Amino acid sequence: MSAALPIPVIQLFQVLTIALAAPGISGVIAKVEARLQGRRGPRVLQPYYDLAKLFRKEALAPEGASWVFLAAPLAAFTCYLTVPLLIPVLTTYGLPLGYMGDILGGGFILSLASFLVAVAALETSSPYAQLGASRAKTFAAITEPVVLFVVFTVGLITGTDLPYALAATVRSSAGQIIRPAHVLAAAALFMVILYETGRIPVETHTGTNEFGMIEEARPFEHSGPYFALLRWGSAAKQLILYTILINVFVAPWGLAASAQAGAVLLAIVALLAKACVLGVVVATIDNSFAKLRLFKITEFASAAFLLAVLGVFTLYLGGG
Amino acid sequence: MMLPVQAPGVFTGGANVIAVLILLAEFGMFRQALLRDQVRLYMAQSALISVLAVIVAAARHIPDLYVLAAVSAALKVVTIPLLLRRLLKETDPAGAPAGGADIAGSGGLGLASTILLAIVVAAFGFFSASRLGIRAVAAPITALSVSVSVVLVAFVLMIHRRDVASQAIGLFSLENGISLAALVVAASLPLILEVALLFDLLLAVVVFGLLIRQHHGRARSMSTADLTRLRG
Repeated sequence: MSAALPIPVIQLFQVLTIALAAPGISGVIAKVEARLQGRRGPRVLQPYYDLAKLFRKEALAPEGASWVFLAAPLAAFTCYLTVPLLIPVLTTYGLPLGYMGDILGGGFILSLASFLVAVAALETSSPYAQLGASRAKTFAAITEPVVLFVVFTVGLITGTDLPYALAATVRSSAGQIIRPAHVLAAAALFMVILYETGRIPVETHTGTNEFGMIEEARPFEHSGPYFALLRWGSAAKQLILYTILINVFVAPWGLAASAQAGAVLLAIVALLAKACVLGVVVATIDNSFAKLRLFKITEFASAAFLLAVLGVFTLYLGGG
Repeated sequence: MMLPVQAPGVFTGGANVIAVLILLAEFGMFRQALLRDQVRLYMAQSALISVLAVIVAAARHIPDLYVLAAVSAALKVVTIPLLLRRLLKETDPAGAPAGGADIAGSGGLGLASTILLAIVVAAFGFFSASRLGIRAVAAPITALSVSVSVVLVAFVLMIHRRDVASQAIGLFSLENGISLAALVVAASLPLILEVALLFDLLLAVVVFGLLIRQHHGRARSMSTADLTRLRG
């Protein structure tokens, strides 16, 4: 029997796992994508080297930009590190700080981060950064109803809106996994995640085509450590969203049910393995579909909305 | 505190998921831009109906449904798409692969607005059917509500698209919705009746195929916009 870890340490591990593993997951996706295209691709650890390089560079701010421009990356990164406290990253049981906020609370913190980055982009008076920020906010307004309907589904299924409760419900029986409401909500959430992480069919993740950019265009004017924080933050956001999909909706298995060090370690490994599998799926989608034209993104969002709404309908009919 | 909605169980859940997938296929037809893709989606939808019939047959021990699933698959997944492709060969643009006729952009509304409209119509179907208080024999009752939605959404598709091909396929997929309803309320209907209905569909396909061909031959397009000129 391994020693039991103190609860605050486990809570810390949740944050550290997300923060330290996030660039690695981005690296895995980039590598898999390159292999699927017949390229050798960058090293899996390349995002870490990029971050290390950026942290050593000097930081410049555009003329006329206020302190908000420099504070936003720090504040946004703080937001991204707060969310792992609220969601089941490693444990099946709620940690003390896990009840600070429900699913909506986590969503608000993520939107706050995205809002801060958008404000910083507006500070720059650079056309591309502003274009990206404005588009990101426009489409976020369209994907927001989808997220709300997914939350309604969770609320109707569990009677609460705590992510831990849904994960426990999904684990409880096979009937919970196959019920249409759950399948539809998970699919809708996956589509929102494709949008939020800037993947095909919404946006090319690695391209340099400014006109097609949404999320990627926002940190155009940041440099040095601030740019590094924004890059790291968007990688952390990606892993957070993957964790929500995996550990709350699709595969909440492998989480630690106790505070034993071995169980927690296993949970870290399991989470990273599951995130890599999801990353491979995302990379495959990246390679199989074309990017949608900007004005077709509403169609993508309406498809996700359709799934989420049907999920709530079937629940109301009693057959969901 | 709000009470959680109980999980419906594996059979009911699985059957409902397939019913919902049939509805999603119907929604997918709004997006298809090529005749070939539209026919493929119809094939997928019909295949789902057969899968659902097999599941219901296995879970409720109704051997007739196996035969129905097989006949329905043979007809709707194999014969009708082949027949449609054969009949509509003339509409293929030169040099394009079979079924490459463009039926995109024929809608009266934007795609996202149409989907929202169809969601409202589907919601009406869902909730009105659940108010009827019909007792399901074999399949779960939610599937009946879904089938009413499929029929209504198929109507929206036929009204919305201004090309003859989508209108025809909308009608055939409407029949899929009716098959789904039949599975729920009348799974033990005499087999001979079901098969007779299926062959009725075959007749409709031939008639529609010929009509589409005729229209395309005269107007040189799939669009029904030219037909308005015929008015008095």
